[in-house]
Amino acid sequence: MNGLTILVVDDDPVIRRLLEQRLLKENYEVLLAEDGYKGNAILSSNHVDVVLTDLMMPGDIGGIEVLEFAKNLDRNIEVILITAHSSVDTAVEAMKKGASDYLEKPINFTELFLRLEKISTMRGLLRSAEDLRQAMDVTEHTAAETIQNLEIITATLQTRLDNIESILTSETMASEDKVSEALNIILNWE
Amino acid sequence: MLKITAEELKVIAQYIHDISGIYLDQSKSYLFETRLSSIAEELGCTSYLELYNKAKKDAAKKIERQIIDAISTNETLFFRDNGPFELLRHKILPEIIDLRTPRSPRLKTNVKIWSAASSTGQELYSIAMTIRELIGTQLDNFNFKLLGTDISDSAVKQASYGKYNKFEIERGLPRQTLQKHFTLFGDSWKVKDELRGMVNFRKLNLMLPFAGLGKFDIILCRNVAIYFTLADRKKLFNKIADSLTDDGFLIIGSTESLTGICPRFVPKRHLRSIFYQKKN
Repeated sequence: MNGLTILVVDDDPVIRRLLEQRLLKENYEVLLAEDGYKGNAILSSNHVDVVLTDLMMPGDIGGIEVLEFAKNLDRNIEVILITAHSSVDTAVEAMKKGASDYLEKPINFTELFLRLEKISTMRGLLRSAEDLRQAMDVTEHTAAETIQNLEIITATLQTRLDNIESILTSETMASEDKVSEALNIILNWE
Repeated sequence: MLKITAEELKVIAQYIHDISGIYLDQSKSYLFETRLSSIAEELGCTSYLELYNKAKKDAAKKIERQIIDAISTNETLFFRDNGPFELLRHKILPEIIDLRTPRSPRLKTNVKIWSAASSTGQELYSIAMTIRELIGTQLDNFNFKLLGTDISDSAVKQASYGKYNKFEIERGLPRQTLQKHFTLFGDSWKVKDELRGMVNFRKLNLMLPFAGLGKFDIILCRNVAIYFTLADRKKLFNKIADSLTDDGFLIIGSTESLTGICPRFVPKRHLRSIFYQKKN
């Protein structure tokens, strides 16, 4: 298992088959859609890590629309566009809309697998960063509780000590009054 | 990676302390190596001593800035630790607004807020969002001045630009808030003008005098003093006390303490958070 689920959206059955076979061989999970409508439907009801979509497809929903739909659903979904050489400009435009990459036809599989591997590594790193962050949050939270309690307790004690000090150093009170007043404060500590 | 010698550790640690106040534990040589080796190699230095000498001689202080950028920690996120923002929303902001609202309805309510180690800006923008959500359409009756300062030039630059990649943005920001205050920019998000207009960022070394900053009603100084020595922390919070209005509020990091550091402040609890005010 490579851990990634890849949705292939392409109207050409030959390319779909080819991509499916090659990706399965590399141990990716593969989902297939023959047009943008089906692609979006699969995205709505399945967990998908990477969308591999043709840029130009018949119907109203092309690669750009699939990209927008996927990103709107979950910004973590990576989208790689497959383009003919002539539509590279559109692909660059798509990168601005959040596509992670584009591949020119005919598909160079070595290149494709390299990119998928990069995405996989990146996800792994993000996950461990997230795990570390969560561990840090838990530690921080428990430490904060202890420290904040101590902070309040210390401040309360300090106020009482200051109080006692001012009583004991008072120049207007009689000595026995000072002592009994100070004792009174100490004995009534909770 | 270029290795650091024990001799160099002493010199570099002292140098970093001098330029930034940051105290790095000399027993952790990897800290120095992971953060400084690329700068050293880029400048063609074969030792850290050579880097140190180059940095000292550099009149434009470019190398010094690079070293500060590399050494300072910019771990931050929007609404990092909910506590302070709940505190602002439910206690501090309403109270300070009450205190500062002038009798004449024609005059504006002035409130000055300072994020003393603003890193890449997330904390200050989070405060700005909290304010907008709290007072909504009545913003015109207020004059909020929000200042963010940081020692790292690149952090200040990013904060001023207000653009965040998806990894920086997704942590801590609910989708609704994101769409309300940010615009999508490729794979990144940019702070909308109305939020950007509320804040200012500038470079400041907390070890140096706070000349010309004036007094603030609310100061946040979270998770920065932890990198300083005890003596430097005492100096810092003493200066912060000078920069806070007598009825102002101070918020520090949730695991930080001022016990034994600054007796001028008293801790107060509200719900599950703590804030500080000056002793009267």
